[in-house]
Amino acid sequence: MSEPAKKQLEEHPLVPVTGIVTKIIDETPDVKTFHIKFENGRPFTPMPGQVAMLSLLSIGEAMFSVRIVDEDHLEFSLKKTGIVTDALHEIEEGQEVGVRGPYGNGFPVDLCKGKDMLFIGMGIGLAPVRTMIYHCINNREDYGKMQIVYGARSPQDLVFKEDLLENWHEVPNCSVDVTVDRGDDEWTGSVDFVPPFVEKLAPKPENTIAIICGPPIGIKFTLPVMEKLGFTNDQIITTLEMRMKCGIGKCGRCNIGSCYVCLDGPVFSLEQLKTMPNEY
Amino acid sequence: MMDIVQKMRNKAKELLEQEEVKLVIGWEKGTFWYQSPPMFITNPDDADRLVWDQFCINNLSKYLLDYKHLDGKIALFVKGCDARGINRLLQDQQINRDKLVILGVPCPGMKDAEAAKKAKENQVDQLPLAERCADCTTPNPMVFDELMADEVVVAEIDETKRFESVLQLEEKASDEKYDFWKSQYDKCIRCFACRNVCPACNCRECCFDLAEPEWLGKRVVTSENQFFALTRAMHVAGRCIECGECERVCPMDIPIMSLNKKIIKDINNLFGDYDAGMDLEDKPPLGKYDENDPEEFM
Amino acid sequence: MKILDKSKLKDLLNSLSGEAQVFAPVNEDDVIKFQPWTDGKEVDLSSNALLPPKDLLFPQTETMYRYTTKGMKAEVAEVAAGSEKQVIFAIRPCDVRSFLMMDDVFLTKGYEDDYYKNKRDNTILISLGCKDPEPTCFCDSMGIDKSESEHADIVMFDLGEQLALDAKTDAGKALLDSLSELEDGSADKPDTAECIIKVEPQGLAEKLAKMFEHPYWEELSRKCIGCGACTYLCPTCHCFDIRRKNVGEEGFQFRCWDSCMFSEYTRMAGGHNPRPSKKERVRNRFLHKLQYFPERYDKVACVGCGRCLAKCPVNMDITRIIKELGEVAVNE
Repeated sequence: MSEPAKKQLEEHPLVPVTGIVTKIIDETPDVKTFHIKFENGRPFTPMPGQVAMLSLLSIGEAMFSVRIVDEDHLEFSLKKTGIVTDALHEIEEGQEVGVRGPYGNGFPVDLCKGKDMLFIGMGIGLAPVRTMIYHCINNREDYGKMQIVYGARSPQDLVFKEDLLENWHEVPNCSVDVTVDRGDDEWTGSVDFVPPFVEKLAPKPENTIAIICGPPIGIKFTLPVMEKLGFTNDQIITTLEMRMKCGIGKCGRCNIGSCYVCLDGPVFSLEQLKTMPNEY
Repeated sequence: MMDIVQKMRNKAKELLEQEEVKLVIGWEKGTFWYQSPPMFITNPDDADRLVWDQFCINNLSKYLLDYKHLDGKIALFVKGCDARGINRLLQDQQINRDKLVILGVPCPGMKDAEAAKKAKENQVDQLPLAERCADCTTPNPMVFDELMADEVVVAEIDETKRFESVLQLEEKASDEKYDFWKSQYDKCIRCFACRNVCPACNCRECCFDLAEPEWLGKRVVTSENQFFALTRAMHVAGRCIECGECERVCPMDIPIMSLNKKIIKDINNLFGDYDAGMDLEDKPPLGKYDENDPEEFM
Repeated sequence: MKILDKSKLKDLLNSLSGEAQVFAPVNEDDVIKFQPWTDGKEVDLSSNALLPPKDLLFPQTETMYRYTTKGMKAEVAEVAAGSEKQVIFAIRPCDVRSFLMMDDVFLTKGYEDDYYKNKRDNTILISLGCKDPEPTCFCDSMGIDKSESEHADIVMFDLGEQLALDAKTDAGKALLDSLSELEDGSADKPDTAECIIKVEPQGLAEKLAKMFEHPYWEELSRKCIGCGACTYLCPTCHCFDIRRKNVGEEGFQFRCWDSCMFSEYTRMAGGHNPRPSKKERVRNRFLHKLQYFPERYDKVACVGCGRCLAKCPVNMDITRIIKELGEVAVNE
């Protein structure tokens, strides 16, 4: 890790350090993954679930889930949804970009220790979940059984295919179940929406923490299923998205009640969310 | 005025009780005696809070845009200038006339609230009229379903008085004009009160709110402020009803109406006299083509 | 205590200007605003500035850093430098109090905002006690002593023909001692009138925590026109946006005030808006002042300066709102 870059981010938390995009992976027609290399090492070590600002200096910044690739590289996966992501989808390898962070609380890795882990990802929501999946894989002895459930709109929309279809199947005591809303001629896997799919898989709630990320509508319909399966609110963890500008709890716009998603989130247990105003 | 107030209250109560309307928009007393801000009534019992006095200055017509999709009718009280606002919104097909119960209140002119701050409540009669009311040519609503009082006599207004501030500015040399407007718009904090209150500003999405393309930069600096001022002035050209709300609501006291009136004066010179919102059938000069339109550049 | 004859006010400001940039309330084009003092300007002490002095610590538009982009190259060229010393002259006690709230926001909870901190650390506050509050003032109710600011470096009293100055911090004392225009003396603190408007915001936060879904907000928001006047004139409102401006291959990142009253403030890429209408935005503004900020920083985010009350085009009156919120029934 680069100490000078880390120091710069501590002293000037709103000013990015720059890195070079060394690899761009086309995940789906509208999702790309970017590997960013930093001279002298990556500027910070994000916890799973933490986020960082990625910027094209002349276009703008946006907040994304960030993952460590190795000593020199950080990784962002992003879906085309607005000005910044549209522009980032147009860049080529070799492009210099700005990064600042890490921000937010991250997943409660210690609280999850010794627990069975249920991961439910929908669409690009697998990106934050995947940071925790990798944490569990890298610290396999600290966590119990891993159960990964993923759903996308169609086979073309499956992200991180190598992980979903190959790598994670090699992980000991780990199951991977993938479904799509609509199949195609070549798809031989499950065709189902995530909520009923989860219901059929019937994961056991005992000593389990469930991490669920995806579009709000997907989460909304999955939660009743979780309740039916016997999961309590403190066993369910999710991440929230709000519009963010500063990332450090100053600029004001990402508040839900008195909490700032950039600082106090983006990870919340359902138990916490129940005490917060329904305004996200 | 008390008789009118009682009549207004009775009318509001009746319309709500008989479920002819879902909402009545009028005025009530505010924090200070010289304030009569907008009031929204859905419960007939609240109708007794309605007031009509010489501080009911807020133009209520713009609020109709908030209730475009209301399932039911709205009644609102209108002065002459409010009524012109309604005609403007009708002309732009922003609202549906069938959903409105327009209750006209002929207006004696509103008092200058700034002057009132330094006066006592029993001195209302001695207070000057608000600047915008001093040269009003349309105190009587021109569109209504019912009038709450007899029409008031319209004072003869000298055109030079109406355009007095413009004439003064026109006297200045170009550099002086620039200096004047620069110092005025350097005060602008870009709160958008002028735009938000304006019945002529009814775009569903304002170009100033767009992030892409970012027509208006968010820096509060001379160039961006002037771009904002001029773009808005040109955008309401031919549609400004001279209600003066923009200037009233400006917290920085920018003489916005001088800019609007300059354009009105020029339009009158170029296309013949036109008063926006007076006649529903009379389309804005910049919103229609006429073969007699001047075409200096052709 | 030091005494200054008001006829020597300009001399004093000129002397102060030797060491630092002085900002003083000046009436220009009918707006009293803290302006950089230069000889020849007229200080206006008649009433509080319409624009709060928050822009001296948190400018409405502020460059953060410059960058260059060329082809695939991108470089952060220059981080905006630290601030020069500045003196805010005749800041009122309410506005001094607002700086404590700004401090909470910009300097605590894990991150120090270096842009703010550089200015704050280099700022000396000379406060002016208020004698005759405006009809819109209600600082008494917000626990502020309007006669004397407890957090200024130097407190100043208006004695009519003279000003009395008293240092409250070491920096303030050093500054006072360096000014030859001042004479030693003593004076009684002038009497101050009470604010006419009274409110009781204490304890409201607990009640508000149960009022998020209350129909009050819908009714309250109806007359709001959704402009940003209240937020921009508020000394405690601190929301900002971050944008950039490109000129060829160069550009700069800047921040500028933003307002929670604007519809696009919370609108996300993709279109979802958690606060889509006036109701949610008005509710957020008042809950932020009266519940969220107290929960987070243990202070009500209002200093009773009355600027919003004086300038709101539709008389959204926070004092009336506080009273009404205290009175409305809440279903437990």
